Amino acid sequence: MNALVVATSAGNVLVWIVWVVAGFSCLAAGVAVISFSNPFMSALALIGNLASLAVMYLLLSAEFVAAAQVLVYAGAVVVMFLFVIGYVGPRHETPWSGGPGWQSVAAVGAAAALLVEIVVAIGLEAGGSLSHSGEVGAAFGSPAWIGRVFLVDHLLAFEITSIVLLVAAVGGVILGTHVRRQQGEEVPS
Amino acid sequence: MLGPGVAWYIAVAAFLFGIGALGVLIRRNTLVVLLSLELMLNAGNLALIAFSRHFHNGAGQIFALAVMAIAASEVCVGLGLVVALNRKQLSLDVDKLSELRG
Amino acid sequence: MTAGSWLCLLAPLGGTILITLLGTRISRVAAAWIATTSVFVGFGGAVWAFAAMLSRQPESRSEITTAWTWLQSGSFKVGLELLVDPLSVVMMLIVSGVGGLIVLYSIGYMDGDDEERRYFAYISFFVFSMLLLVEGGNLLMLLVGWGLVGLSSYLLIGFWHDRPSAVQAAKKAFIMNAFGDATMALAFFILIAHTNSLSFATDFNAHLSSSAANFVALGLLGGAVAKSAQIPLQTWLPDAMEGPTPVSALIHAATMVTAGVYLIARTYPLFEQARTIELLAAGTGALTLLVAGLIALVQTDIKKVIAYSTMSQIGYMFLGAGVGAYSSGMFHLMTHAFFKALLFMTAGLIIHAVANEQDIRKLRGIGQLMPFTKWCFLAGALALVGIPPFSGFFSKDPIISSAAALGTWYGWIFWVCGVAGAFLTGLYTFRLWFLLFPGEPTPFVREHYHDHHGREGAWTMLVPVGILAVLATFAGWLQWTPRWDPFTKWLEPAAPTLAAAIPTNTQEYYTSAAAVIAGLVGIGLAWVIYSEQRIAIPAAPFWRRLFENKFYFDWLYDRIFYEPAVATANFLRRDFEDPVILQTGPDLGEATIETGGLVRRLQTGLLRTYVFFIAAGAAAVVLAFLIAR
Repeated sequence: MNALVVATSAGNVLVWIVWVVAGFSCLAAGVAVISFSNPFMSALALIGNLASLAVMYLLLSAEFVAAAQVLVYAGAVVVMFLFVIGYVGPRHETPWSGGPGWQSVAAVGAAAALLVEIVVAIGLEAGGSLSHSGEVGAAFGSPAWIGRVFLVDHLLAFEITSIVLLVAAVGGVILGTHVRRQQGEEVPS
Repeated sequence: MLGPGVAWYIAVAAFLFGIGALGVLIRRNTLVVLLSLELMLNAGNLALIAFSRHFHNGAGQIFALAVMAIAASEVCVGLGLVVALNRKQLSLDVDKLSELRG
Repeated sequence: MTAGSWLCLLAPLGGTILITLLGTRISRVAAAWIATTSVFVGFGGAVWAFAAMLSRQPESRSEITTAWTWLQSGSFKVGLELLVDPLSVVMMLIVSGVGGLIVLYSIGYMDGDDEERRYFAYISFFVFSMLLLVEGGNLLMLLVGWGLVGLSSYLLIGFWHDRPSAVQAAKKAFIMNAFGDATMALAFFILIAHTNSLSFATDFNAHLSSSAANFVALGLLGGAVAKSAQIPLQTWLPDAMEGPTPVSALIHAATMVTAGVYLIARTYPLFEQARTIELLAAGTGALTLLVAGLIALVQTDIKKVIAYSTMSQIGYMFLGAGVGAYSSGMFHLMTHAFFKALLFMTAGLIIHAVANEQDIRKLRGIGQLMPFTKWCFLAGALALVGIPPFSGFFSKDPIISSAAALGTWYGWIFWVCGVAGAFLTGLYTFRLWFLLFPGEPTPFVREHYHDHHGREGAWTMLVPVGILAVLATFAGWLQWTPRWDPFTKWLEPAAPTLAAAIPTNTQEYYTSAAAVIAGLVGIGLAWVIYSEQRIAIPAAPFWRRLFENKFYFDWLYDRIFYEPAVATANFLRRDFEDPVILQTGPDLGEATIETGGLVRRLQTGLLRTYVFFIAAGAAAVVLAFLIAR
């Protein structure tokens, strides 16, 4: 690849090392998520995945997004998961028992197909517009810059996102409340 | 740009997406399915950020933020469903939740 | 003149419409009288047209009156037009006059039938159709009338539709006539292609090559042969006796079956240009008159004997028209209408009086109980055989002598056929008379005979019979070709006799002598065999079988046409319609249900399956994009 021909400077090598570590741990954590039989462990593996992704975002000059990733995903989403997992209780599942059924085989096939296609697409584009990325300014990816772009260029997306969040919150509350039965029957919580 | 070119990031995103898809298709526990769904969403996010860096377009990062918000909402609703299922003492096995069977 | 012809045409139609619209609101008798009156009004119109024509000069006696243009296609135009000329006026008078008498007779004959109104509606419709045929001013109007009389014949033969034999006979008549209609239509197509006109005012010969003229004449002859029940399309006529007797009298004796002769006379220029075909018509006539006469010798049903006699006499008319003596053929048509209708109607009196029995072997000696019938029948029989001074003598012999006038070898053959036919006519007619009328009545007759309030029939039946008996006796005196021929002169402008077919007086005299002698010999032989019974009927089993099976025409047509058609229809039904067409509906339904069942299996209710399909679909779409790039 072209990237290997880049002159090795200390900064470059460091970036490569960080990238390899982050990428590897990202994928390993992903495999862990789908492999553990205990959902609690899967949720913990997800934390590792999210952290590696945050590192990769930093490498891509997206500081604000990386921070938001840790705050929102790792801080809120995973906490929710852990909470519900704890609430629901132990549900152990043996995902790999019973041998691969047709669904498993087909699933692997479909996923592999998607993967191969994407790789092929990238490969085809390798000679094209993916070659030279160029430099970006220091403000690229900073919170001020994000804020300005979000609220000026993409205001509609901002507003819609906020509405979706509202709807989800309302939905979550409705799904979460339990229906009270009539005449003072004790409601099972 | 220092380090790997954008193609490497896309490759990682693709693999992550594949792993997430595999998880959704194979696992039977609803919670794990939701977790795998998160993997897929993150893979998409990674791709968006990478392309945003490559094309110097801020829209990719904005979109990634929006995706994060949507993912959070979706998890909220999904987990609400799980809680409701649990309250009804129904199984959390997606294979057993087949009342929509035709 | 034209007003009279329009009145003549439309009055019976008005009668039909009136009876149909009034339906059961009028009594059956009222419907009967409406029909009779409408036909007689038509007769009045014909007389009016005739009188008006008389007052004109012979050259200006032909007129075409158009109501409106019916069809137009490019330069080809056909109008709704009537042709009023001497020939059509003669036919109008015959059809409406004899028709009126027969409809009057039907009032008595069909009295008490449940569906009398339908009968009278049909029969006035028939009179209208026949008048349209003879009055049509172009070949297309003639064809319309042709088809409509075929339809009326079908409706009336199958009038008693709960009888399967009647329905079969009606179908047979219609189908055989359809064959003739088809050949006529082909002839018309050739005419339109070459001359761009179907009107009788056009000179067709100017535009037709001789081969085209031959085909046209052949097509027209096909139609004439089918309609007039000549060989080889004659088998429908005896079966048509299933209809009521007045129907047999009107349609199958006096008018419809003579339409073929009228056609030849009307289109004589075409036939004269295709002389071979015209002589073929004459030959067909000669052959038919012999064959029909032979078959009539072994029939045991009154109406069948008279039907074969009709077939034979029309053979004479074809012979006359075929050799070129159109006015002789038409004159015989007229006298035949009188005496054949008379014979049918007297037969109807008998049938009516003995509870519908038609087998002559059981009805011996009925003359003693029905003298009026006996004498009227005798008048008709003598007219039929051609004994002077009865009408048949004056009309039949000129035809035979015209054949002699030709002078050719086939002319002499026709002459011999004609004279032999006279012998056969005498024989079978008087076989019938001697078997029916003289002698002691059989016990069957005594038991079943019932008169009508002391008379042999209602007055509505007796009066027309009487009138026709008078006509059958005296109408022939209109023309005696050696001495006076007003009829031929009347028809000169419309259908002049071919010069080669005009007999000399000598030929006329010896032909008449030969024919009369032959007829008398036939009568004498019949008297000896059937009345006196001095000679036994010869055994001759081969001939007897041949005649009784009607020369095996029916058998042949069954094998050639009917059975293959039935086999094909059954095959198509069994192997094509039932499994393919009829099953298509249920098969489509079952296929849809099966497909639905298959598709239903996609709805597993399992989340994983749905997600899988999403993933697979996404993969396919990406693949498509990749390929498109």
